[in-house]
Amino acid sequence: MLLILDVLTTAAILFVTSIGLLAIFGVLKIINFAHGAWITIGAYCAVVAAKLGLNPWAAAPLAFVVGAALGGLAELFIIRPLYRRPLDAILATWGLGIVIGQLITLGFGRDVQFTPNLLPGAVQLLGVDYSAYRLVALGAALVIGAAFAFTIEGTRLGLSARAVIMNEALARGLGIDTARVRFVTFMIGAGLASLAGVLLTPLASVDPNMGVGWLIGAFMLVMVSNASFLALAAACLVFGAAQVLISAFVSPIFGSIAIAVLAAVTLRISPKGFSRA
Amino acid sequence: MAEAARRAEAPAGGDLALDEVASGYGAVSIVKGVSLRVRPGEIVALLGKNGMGKTTLLKTILGMVALRGGAISIDGASTAGLAPAKLVALGVGYAPQEQPLFQDLTVRDNLRLALSSDRLLPEALERAFGHFPFLKDRLSQRAGTLSGGEQKMLILTRALMLKPRLLLIDEISEGLQPSVVDRIANALAEERAASGASMLIVEQNLDFALRVSDRWAVLKLGEIDDEGVAEAEARDRVLRHLSV
Repeated sequence: MLLILDVLTTAAILFVTSIGLLAIFGVLKIINFAHGAWITIGAYCAVVAAKLGLNPWAAAPLAFVVGAALGGLAELFIIRPLYRRPLDAILATWGLGIVIGQLITLGFGRDVQFTPNLLPGAVQLLGVDYSAYRLVALGAALVIGAAFAFTIEGTRLGLSARAVIMNEALARGLGIDTARVRFVTFMIGAGLASLAGVLLTPLASVDPNMGVGWLIGAFMLVMVSNASFLALAAACLVFGAAQVLISAFVSPIFGSIAIAVLAAVTLRISPKGFSRA
Repeated sequence: MAEAARRAEAPAGGDLALDEVASGYGAVSIVKGVSLRVRPGEIVALLGKNGMGKTTLLKTILGMVALRGGAISIDGASTAGLAPAKLVALGVGYAPQEQPLFQDLTVRDNLRLALSSDRLLPEALERAFGHFPFLKDRLSQRAGTLSGGEQKMLILTRALMLKPRLLLIDEISEGLQPSVVDRIANALAEERAASGASMLIVEQNLDFALRVSDRWAVLKLGEIDDEGVAEAEARDRVLRHLSV
């Protein structure tokens, strides 16, 4: 039972940290290598909220708003001029991530920051004591996933985003403001990354480079999902299970590289990854 | 609001004027100084063999390919630098030839994408069903699963959803059986009678083009080679330009 809960909550955490990257990749066709920096920004929003004496949960909406606003500025002034040069756009996001990391270091120092636990303690579930917060993370992933699915399937913005993903030239020809769709999508993707940063604070140490490790995992998961929301959920479940099981029965070191190795093997076997599942 | 007011004041059909229009891709010039007029309520057929620049000219009018020379105006106002979204808001409808549908979206979603708001959908659908009643039962079907003829009718319907004042139609009759071509010709005639829309149609089906249009022009290597009125004698004259 413990293993099942670990698999579900690990998959949930992977999903939360990857969904913003997937949204941006799907619509803008670029990998936002500053994704890790936005996760870090979110975590530092939790640090700031704690210093201001706010309720720890207030950091979640704060991080989403701050992340989205900074994402909007980045799209407008850095990404948009490079749309016709996607490789340069990707390199620009990489550089942007480094700059953000350095700015955070300047502002807060290199030391690990401490934030109040969003939900301490354990709860009894199906005969085992389990971290209450990890269960909340599972619920948060379900809520974020449902909200994301509703936005994509149930709103005009989502319909426009799907049209841009499928055929951007046709979408432009029909009068869809594709620049606006890209802008809003980048804001949402960046906001979700920062929200993930807050949700990670009870599980990971907060320092200026904390996002890098999560970026690598999210990148691998998005690569095997081929811009499909459902494929991302499936990939998080399968790779999350592999990570937990390898960590438990082989070695935590092998478990930590499980996602990268499995993603490479998956793409070697099926270039479209889980999107065919 | 200004665009809406302008549309309300403008005549039903758009007045399209091309003056020495030039455009292309990269280092290649495709359209080389085309001058052409589509007057309000008029249907003009743009004819020519493959690779002569017909589709590029339509994309240039719609702002999808950059204008390199000359001028394009609608109702006397220059469209230079306007994005496709602005032109569509001004009343330009487009029925493309290349990858013309979102295959994985439903018929309803393909039609929704032509509208600026879902509030306009019920009325627009009613008008669409008037042209092609079969769509009423296919709204939930994926567009990619429609037959070739049904897909063409969907493409045209989508272009008509916003009651365009100027329609740009790219080879809508390509590969269709005569009965479907007839339905499309009837729909174009009905739309012009109902809304007075102007149309520039790119075609390779000469009989269809001359049947639905008022005037024709032949594009050859990016330039207007000949033009005239769509009348009985026009067929032989156009064929001379299209023969190898």
